[in-house]
Amino acid sequence: MPKHISRLIILLVTFGAAAYAAKVFFTADSFYAYGHYRGKSVAEIASDKPKYKGSEYCQSCHAERYAEWSKGVHHSVEIGKVVQCEVCHQAAGGRDAGGMFQHVATGIDHPASGKLPVPTDSLKLCPLCHEKMPGRPAEQRQIVIATHAGTQQCTACHNPHSPRMIVVAGAAAGQAETGAMGKAAICAGCHGGEGVSVNPVWPNLAGQHSAYLVDALKAYRTGARQSAMMSATAAGLSDADIQSLSDHYAAMKLKVAASAAGSASAAAGKAKADTCATCHGAEGVSGNPAWPSLAGQQKDYLVGALKAYQEGVRKNEIMAGMAKGLSDADIDALATYYSSATVH
Amino acid sequence: MAVKAVVPEAHAATGPTPPPAIPGYDWTQHRWGFGVDATKCIGCLRCVEACKRENDVAADAHHFRTWVERYVYLEGEDKPRIDSHHDPVNIEASGSEGEYRFANRYKDAKVEKAFFVPKLCNHCTHPACVQVCPTGATYKTEDGVVLIDHNYCIGCQYCVQACPYGARFFNERKQVTDKCTWCYHRITKGLQPACVEVCPVGARIFGDLKDKQSPISQFIRNNRTYVLRPESGNAPNVYYVGIDKDVV
Ligand code: HEC
Ligand code: HEC
Ligand code: HEC
Ligand code: HEC
Ligand code: HEC
Ligand code: HEC
Repeated sequence: MPKHISRLIILLVTFGAAAYAAKVFFTADSFYAYGHYRGKSVAEIASDKPKYKGSEYCQSCHAERYAEWSKGVHHSVEIGKVVQCEVCHQAAGGRDAGGMFQHVATGIDHPASGKLPVPTDSLKLCPLCHEKMPGRPAEQRQIVIATHAGTQQCTACHNPHSPRMIVVAGAAAGQAETGAMGKAAICAGCHGGEGVSVNPVWPNLAGQHSAYLVDALKAYRTGARQSAMMSATAAGLSDADIQSLSDHYAAMKLKVAASAAGSASAAAGKAKADTCATCHGAEGVSGNPAWPSLAGQQKDYLVGALKAYQEGVRKNEIMAGMAKGLSDADIDALATYYSSATVH
Repeated sequence: MAVKAVVPEAHAATGPTPPPAIPGYDWTQHRWGFGVDATKCIGCLRCVEACKRENDVAADAHHFRTWVERYVYLEGEDKPRIDSHHDPVNIEASGSEGEYRFANRYKDAKVEKAFFVPKLCNHCTHPACVQVCPTGATYKTEDGVVLIDHNYCIGCQYCVQACPYGARFFNERKQVTDKCTWCYHRITKGLQPACVEVCPVGARIFGDLKDKQSPISQFIRNNRTYVLRPESGNAPNVYYVGIDKDVV
């Protein structure tokens, strides 16, 4: 064989051997195990740690919230609509430091990793799903934020874990019993079983004059007095219902703790209250049954009511005149005084 | 020549390869499929957020494994207006690139028809992206999922170009391409993909096509479903209900 040919062959063989060695050396063991890829990468990707743990995970520790939620409309399993805890509170699973694509099986879970965030701005959260918007299917319950809530937080009225109002649920299902006691159970969701409301922006009813309560409920029913919460409820009440409910609450004794009684603000309020006393009574218990007593009423509700008269949102000629001259500080002082005034 | 011949030999010597070592999971028992019911989607974008958190996708507007498109037909216009969470108007409404929200931009417009369409990787039966990959970094698994081996990806982005659905993107931080895995790390543990888990209205359906009672089998059986761009020959595996001809 001529020398140059054998050299060429040696060169080619050497090159082939080197290429083969390189191939063997550089190809991962598992390449071609299942196809033209590294077989081990499948199990590597599958070993990544899930971060969304599911709502059942929360049950053992947050039993109360879980129970509330699972009975509420945000857990409508029967129609396949469930708003999971982690949608509002973020994922509870391990957060891997260092950013993207950490295919790792580490990362600690809540609660060891810290508290989960509690949404503070429900005006941002809830409209994600409930703002009325073209393209949203009609079955999704939607509201026009400006007219439904304004700038009020949704959580002021709705419980995020069980947002449907008791009253709406009862009325919609036609379950409202006819007797006053049956209806009072609906009212109790907001005004409390003892006539002391569960939210300081809602009024106490216990011990209020019956005649005033009747007027108020009829005003809601006709629309003369407007309230997102009361209008729908009052619309379903008959005259007889209104009378018996009003008597029911009027007969109750208002039991509230007179907490801020001695404060400076309450004293300032007492000084301002002389003008009011003519109608609402020296101690906040009015002498005319058609005029409301104010003693022991929720402070936030009183503030809201006086501002509503000022702004003309709640219409009453007498009170519009009375409220017009009051400054914010006056309103606060008066509300503190009346809310702390002891009853009877 | 020699190089090629050797490999199947080595393969044959070990006998049939056992399935990948995933605890409690045998990939020969499953073939996954995905459904989207666009008539239910409310455009809340919780799926986009959950996907990003679950998969450590950059919390900005332009990297995402799943997204939702809004189609709006205004009176007198014959083409829909299409936007998604990365539209500047929507970024402004959400307040930052790391939060996702559709702005209520058509509330005063005369809207003839509008709907939302969730989108994601179609995990095609004949994926063009896998064909063009020069390194074997992306592949189709036995159970029907297209995955990316980030250790083997060289970031050439041929696959990004090849995908007819725009489902892939480039991950600058890791210098690799990236896309939806149907949450392979969840489904192999018996969980639902994160987007399906958080969807509040059941617009996303996932399950095993081999199980005739699974949600996805029932979804396909009980509805007239469509796939996107069937003419591309990729044979996609995300089945849609409630879309029209303008959705591709
Ligand atoms: C192993 C028990 C445990 C589990 C499971 C658990 N949590 Fe917690 N969670 C805690 C503890 C403990 C705290 C801290 C309470 C504190 O310090 O007031 C907490 C705090 C929170 C807080 C903040 C409360 C606050 O007042 O700031 C939220 C929200 C929360 N958890 C939600 C969840 C959700 C949602 C889940 C399910 C995905 C969950 N948790 C699962 C134990 C648990
Ligand atoms: C629709 C959104 C939403 C869902 C779903 C939801 N939460 Fe909440 N959660 C909230 C909001 C909003 C608050 C703040 C409550 C407030 O301001 O009154 C809160 C408060 C909490 C708190 C803190 C309570 C406190 O007093 O500080 C815990 C704990 C909690 N949620 C647990 C859960 C658990 C467990 C689930 C699932 C069973 C769940 N949440 C589902 C929105 C939600
Ligand atoms: C991720 C989406 C989502 C978020 C966020 C969300 N909801 Fe809901 N909400 C739903 C769904 C889905 C339903 C069930 C609707 C149905 O029954 O068709 C629902 C039902 C309701 C209902 C009952 C409507 C009825 O039928 O009477 C109210 C009220 C409500 N939500 C208020 C809220 C409030 C308040 C928040 C914020 C704390 C909130 N939602 C956050 C999705 C959401
Ligand atoms: C002032 C109290 C109040 C506030 C604030 C409030 N709601 Fe309501 N909401 C109600 C009452 C009362 C009802 C039931 C009466 C009715 O059917 O109109 C209701 C009903 C709803 C419904 C069901 C509507 C339907 O068509 O069935 C949704 C959804 C809802 N609210 C969401 C919200 C969201 C989201 C916010 C915050 C942006 C919010 N609400 C703020 C009092 C309130
Ligand atoms: C969803 C919560 C809610 C329910 C349920 C509810 N109320 Fe009310 N109620 C309110 C709120 C809030 C106001 C204050 C509205 C306003 O500012 O005008 C109010 C005001 C009233 C007032 C006027 C009180 C005053 O001092 O002027 C009466 C009377 C009343 N409610 C009776 C009832 C009765 C009777 C029921 C049951 C049939 C009932 N409410 C159910 C929330 C509720
Ligand atoms: C001339 C008689 C009169 C005087 C003086 C008067 N009020 Fe009134 N007030 C009324 C009447 C009548 C109502 C019931 C109006 C209605 O139905 O909206 C009322 C209602 C109210 C309410 C709403 C109570 C509720 O339960 O909703 C508040 C708060 C109030 N007054 C505070 C005051 C304060 C503070 C003053 C003194 C600055 C004052 N009023 C002076 C007659 C008076």
